[in-house]
Amino acid sequence: MGIQRYVAKRTLQAILVIYVVATAVFVAIRSIPGDPARLILGGDADADAIAAVRAELGLDEPIYVQYARWMADLARGDFGASIYTGEPVLARIAGAAEPTLSIGLVGISIAILIAIPAGIVSATRRDQWEDYVATGVAFLGISMPSFWIGIVLLLTVGTAVPAIPSYGYASISEGVVPWLSHVILPATAVGLPYAGIITRMTRSSMLEVLGEDYMQTARAKGLPPRLILFKHGLQNALMPVVTVAGILFALLLGGIVAVEMVFGIQGFGRLLIRSIERQDFPIVQGSVIVISIIFVFMNLFVDMLYMSINPKIKYGGGA
Amino acid sequence: MSTDYGDADTFLGVRLDRFARLRETVAGDYKATFGLTTVVLFVLAAVFAPELAPYDPMAQEYAIMQAPSLSSAHPLGTDSFGRDLLARMMFGARISLGVSLGAVTIGAVVGVSLGVVAGYFGGWVDDALMRFVDVLWAFPWLLIAIMLVAVFGQGVWNVVAAIAFAYIDDFARLARGEVLSIREEEFVLAAKNVGLGDVQIMVEEVLPNAVAPLIVQFTVLVARAMLAESTLSFLGIGVKPTTPTWGALLGQGRSLIGQAWWISIIPGIAIVITVLGINLFGDALRDAFDVRGEGGSP
Repeated sequence: MGIQRYVAKRTLQAILVIYVVATAVFVAIRSIPGDPARLILGGDADADAIAAVRAELGLDEPIYVQYARWMADLARGDFGASIYTGEPVLARIAGAAEPTLSIGLVGISIAILIAIPAGIVSATRRDQWEDYVATGVAFLGISMPSFWIGIVLLLTVGTAVPAIPSYGYASISEGVVPWLSHVILPATAVGLPYAGIITRMTRSSMLEVLGEDYMQTARAKGLPPRLILFKHGLQNALMPVVTVAGILFALLLGGIVAVEMVFGIQGFGRLLIRSIERQDFPIVQGSVIVISIIFVFMNLFVDMLYMSINPKIKYGGGA
Repeated sequence: MSTDYGDADTFLGVRLDRFARLRETVAGDYKATFGLTTVVLFVLAAVFAPELAPYDPMAQEYAIMQAPSLSSAHPLGTDSFGRDLLARMMFGARISLGVSLGAVTIGAVVGVSLGVVAGYFGGWVDDALMRFVDVLWAFPWLLIAIMLVAVFGQGVWNVVAAIAFAYIDDFARLARGEVLSIREEEFVLAAKNVGLGDVQIMVEEVLPNAVAPLIVQFTVLVARAMLAESTLSFLGIGVKPTTPTWGALLGQGRSLIGQAWWISIIPGIAIVITVLGINLFGDALRDAFDVRGEGGSP
C-alpha cells in the first residue's frame, strides 16, 4: 500500500472513530435521569413553562430527530450553544481551554526540562549513584497523584513564597509574569509525574542507542566522547521519547482536571464536570468531540512521525 | 522472538525458571525488595483491617470534632468528624486496593480477549476490533466516570467500570502485538495442521506465550488504577463520600488544609508509598521476564 493511500485510510478511520464517540456521548448524556428544562427553571416550575422550554431547546422531539439535526449541524461545523447561557459551544470551550492548555504546556515543558537531562545522566552513569538518584526520583514522580503534589506545593511553596499566588488564574493577556506565577504550581503538579515517565523512557532509549553498532564505530574512530554522545547518541535516542511525549500531552487531561480543582482554576475540567451536572447537552457533546479529535489526530500524527523517522515500519497490515 | 517452551514447567504460562530469576532479582535489588515488602505490608493491613485497626473507622469522637489534632491516642490524627484516620486508612486500603485490582482484572480479561482474537484472525476482524479499541481509547476515562456517576449515582462499581474501560485498549494493543509475532510460529502452524480448533489454539498455544509482558502490564496498571481511583474519589465522582478511600479522605481534608494539614497529606503518603511499591515491583518483574519498553496511558 502506498503512503498516500495509507494516510487516507487512517484519516477516514479516525473520522469514523470520532463519529462513533460523538454518537456514544449523545446517547449516554440523554440516559442521565433528569430533565434540563426542569433544571433551568427550578423545582417549582409549572408543567406549561417546562414544556415551553423543552420545545424551545428542541428536546420535545423524538430522539432520532434530535440526533439527525445535531449531526446535520455538526457537518456544517455548528456545535450548538449552551442551553443555559446561549453562548456558542466552541466559544465556551475556547474560553475554558486557556488555563488548561497553559497548565498542560508549562507542565510538559517542566517535565522535559527535568527529564531529558536526568534520563541522559541516568543512562551514561548507569548503576552509579547518579543513576540511582534519578531512578528513585523518577519512580517517586510516577507514583504521586498530581492533585496531591498540588496540595503539597500549596502548603509548602504556596505559603512560603508570597509572590506565588495559590489560587485562581491570570490570563496571559494580563502579562507573562502574573500568568506564569499562577500557572507554575499547577503545572509543576501536572508535570512531575510526566517527568518521571519521560526520564525512564529517555534512559532506556539512550541505553539502547549506546549499545548500537554505530556508536561502537564512532568510538573506534576516536571521536570525542561528548560529540559521540550528543551528535550520534542523543539524536537517535530522543526520537521515540519526543513522539511519546506528544501522546502524553493528550493524556494529561485527567491530571489537569483534579489539579484545577486544587487551585480553584476555572478551566476545561471544571467546565466539563459542571456541564454534566447541569446536563448542558451541547457543551458536553462538543467537549467530548473536541477531546476525541485531539486524541485521535495526535495519535495519527505520532504514527506518521514514527514512520517517517523509521522507514523500516511498514504501512499497511498493522495499526 | 517467542519460543515454544515445550514440556518446561510453567505457572500461568510463565516458565518457572523465570520465577527463579524473579526471586534472584528481588533478593539482589533494593528497589524490588522495597517494592515487594511495601505491597505485602499494605495488603496485609487491608486484609486484616478489622482485626488491626485501633478504632472503628466510622466511630466519631465528638470531643475532638472541632479540633482535629495529632495525639498519642490518634497518631495519624482525626478527621473533621472526629474519626481516627489510621483506622479509616486501613479500611480505605481495602477499597482502594480492591477497586484497582478489580478494575485492572476486568480490563485485562476484556482487552486481552479482544487483542488475541484480533491478532490471531487478522484481516477485517483485526480492523474492526482495533477500531473499536480506538473508540474506547478516544473516550476520556474521566468522562466515562463522570457519566456513569451521573446515570447510576456514586458507587464502587462505577469506579471499577470506568477504570476498567480505560485499560481495555492498553491490554488489547499489547496482546495483539504479541499474538502477531506468535501466530506465525511453527508450533501454532503445527497445532492448526493437527486440527485443533481456533479457540483451543488461542487459549492453549498462543496466550501462554504472551503472558509475561501481560503480567508486567497488569502490575503497572494496578499502580495507575490506584492513582485513578484516588483522583476520582478526590473529585467527588468516585465512591460514596461516606466510604473511606484514600482519595476521598484526601478530598475531605482539602477544605481543612489550613488547620489540619495531615488529613490531606497522610493519605497521600499512603498512596505514594503503595503505588511506588507496586511500580518498583513491576520494574523488577520487567527485568526478570525480560520485557522491554514502557508506556501506555497514565
